[in-house]
Parts: sequence; structure tokens; C-alpha cells
Amino acid sequence: MLENVEKSHPADCFLYTDSVPSVWCPGCGIGTVINTFIQAVEKSSFSSDKVCVVSGIGCTGKVAEYLKFNSFNRIDGNLIEYAAKLKLQNSDRKLVVFSNNADFLVSGAKDLVETGKKGIELLIIHVNNIIYTITEYKAIPTTPFMRASADKNLELPFNIPHLAKECGATYVARWTPLRAGWLMYSMIDTLSKRGFSVIEVISPCLMYYPDSKRIGDAAELMKFYDDNSVIKHDEPTEDLDIRVHDKIILGKFVDKK
Amino acid sequence: MKAEVHIIKERCKGCGICIEICQASVLEISEELNTNGYHPPVAKNPEACINCGMCEMFCPDFAIWVTVVKEANVNV
Repeated sequence: MLENVEKSHPADCFLYTDSVPSVWCPGCGIGTVINTFIQAVEKSSFSSDKVCVVSGIGCTGKVAEYLKFNSFNRIDGNLIEYAAKLKLQNSDRKLVVFSNNADFLVSGAKDLVETGKKGIELLIIHVNNIIYTITEYKAIPTTPFMRASADKNLELPFNIPHLAKECGATYVARWTPLRAGWLMYSMIDTLSKRGFSVIEVISPCLMYYPDSKRIGDAAELMKFYDDNSVIKHDEPTEDLDIRVHDKIILGKFVDKK
Repeated sequence: MKAEVHIIKERCKGCGICIEICQASVLEISEELNTNGYHPPVAKNPEACINCGMCEMFCPDFAIWVTVVKEANVNV
């Protein structure tokens, strides 16, 4: 009497299904970001062969291995420059860059400033996992003050929305993976936007950022960051530092026509 | 409208986000193990599902999705 209509996951046509499940830790936010991105492409008017995905190194670098769009994997730091060159040659395609802290801030900062100032049409989805994940426990420019257990970070963290705005971004937003609905509508907005847009996703490493290695409590940890964040649209980007004892401010901060 | 939850057990990594996020408390952790050694979720009361699609949106490993079930014999 009841019949089952679909036999496979609706996102399977955008995935290399042989490599699913992914290599990331259980509950990692990068998986949710990919899932959200696929739904955003489905809901926007783009056809999937007009979307190019570029990813770099580290955990976020694996993104290009799972997505069945035109996917490119690049070396450390060359990511945004490569995507900008691709965009200049293929003006009808939408370039989406999945970057992490190493690609975006540490070795790719020069490209970020250059590309942003030129105003090349790119969508950068920056997965900020607060720490160097593969070389465990090391502090990076976005680690909050006095955090990361191997070497206590003595510097104040980078404010990525402010940096992106100063580089000339036309759309800046920040979300956590458990706000996937907001994240999806930000992605739909930016897929049709002609300009340099940056979406920061705060998805702290579940293995190494908490002080104890608790792999089983992924949902609980993700919910902790969800409870400790507050949505404030159009907040001045100077005030968006990640502080340990304050709530993380999420929202859409810059949206130029 | 009736909804049905589909779970690919071999893809699941047992993070529990779908159980945490489900507002109608349809899902729970099952006793069985898959080949990777994780406990996949199971729909304990599938009648309560309201087809909100949150589990499908949040699953990092594309293991769960919801479909609307069409009833075959409907007299209009």
C-alpha cells in the first residue's frame, strides 16, 4: 500500500559515493558544510557544471575529493590566486574556494589581499577550526587568547570578518555548522552575487581543540558552540573578535549591492 | 502526509547529531554495529516524523534522508 519513491540519498548525484563515509572525525562540521553547499547549489539557479570547487591542504583540503563538481586540489597558499586565475579565464563559471586557516591566513594572506582589492568574483567558504589539526595542538592566528594546550597562545586572535571587509569583500557572514539553515541561505545569496564574498564557518576541531580527547561527544560539543553564540546582523566588524568568555557573534555583517 | 526515514547504516559514523537535532524525537541509537564499528541510529517511532528534513540537512556523511510517502490507494 505504501511505496518507497527514492532509493538513494538525494545528494548522491553530486558525490563520489565510493569515498563516503568521509575521512573526517565523527560529527566534524566540514561534512555539514559540504551537505549545506550541495543543497544551496540545488536550490539556486546554477547548473552543477557551472560550479568549480577549489580546495587546498589539511582537513578542508579533502573537500574536492568528495564533490562531483569541477574540483581542483591545490598546494598550500596558492589557492585563492589559482581560483582567481581560473575565474579570469572562465567568466561564466562560479568559483567556490573551500579554505582553512593555513590557506587563508598563514600562507595565502597575500593572495587574499590582492584578489579582494581587485574585486574578482569568488565565493570563499572559510572553515575556521581554531587550531592546526593535523599537526596537533599548535596555535594559529585565529586561536583565542591563552588557548591551545601545547603552546599557550599569547596573542590576540585574528578578526576574519574585519580583515575580509578591509580587503574589499562585498559579502561577509559568519555561522557555525549547527546554524545550517542560515548558512545555506548565505550560500544561495552569494552564489548569485558578483563580487568577492567571504563566509566564515566556525567549526572548532572536535579532537584537539577541547582539552580532553572526547570523540564520542561530538553532538554535545557542537551544541556547546551553538549555545555560546548569538546572532547580531550588521554588527560593526571591529567588535567580532572570538573571546573565550564572551559569546561568539554570528550573522551577516556586510552586504553591498 | 506521512514521512519515512531512510538510513544507510554503512555510512554512519555514530556522531549523534541527527538524534540531537530531531525535534520530534524519532531517532535513537541502536544496539547493532556496522562494519566500521559504530552504532547507527534507528527510527523508534517513525509515525512521529513531520518531514522537517533537519537530519538530512545536518548529517555530515549523507547517511540519512526523509521522503514523503504517497499512499497508493486514495479515493478522491
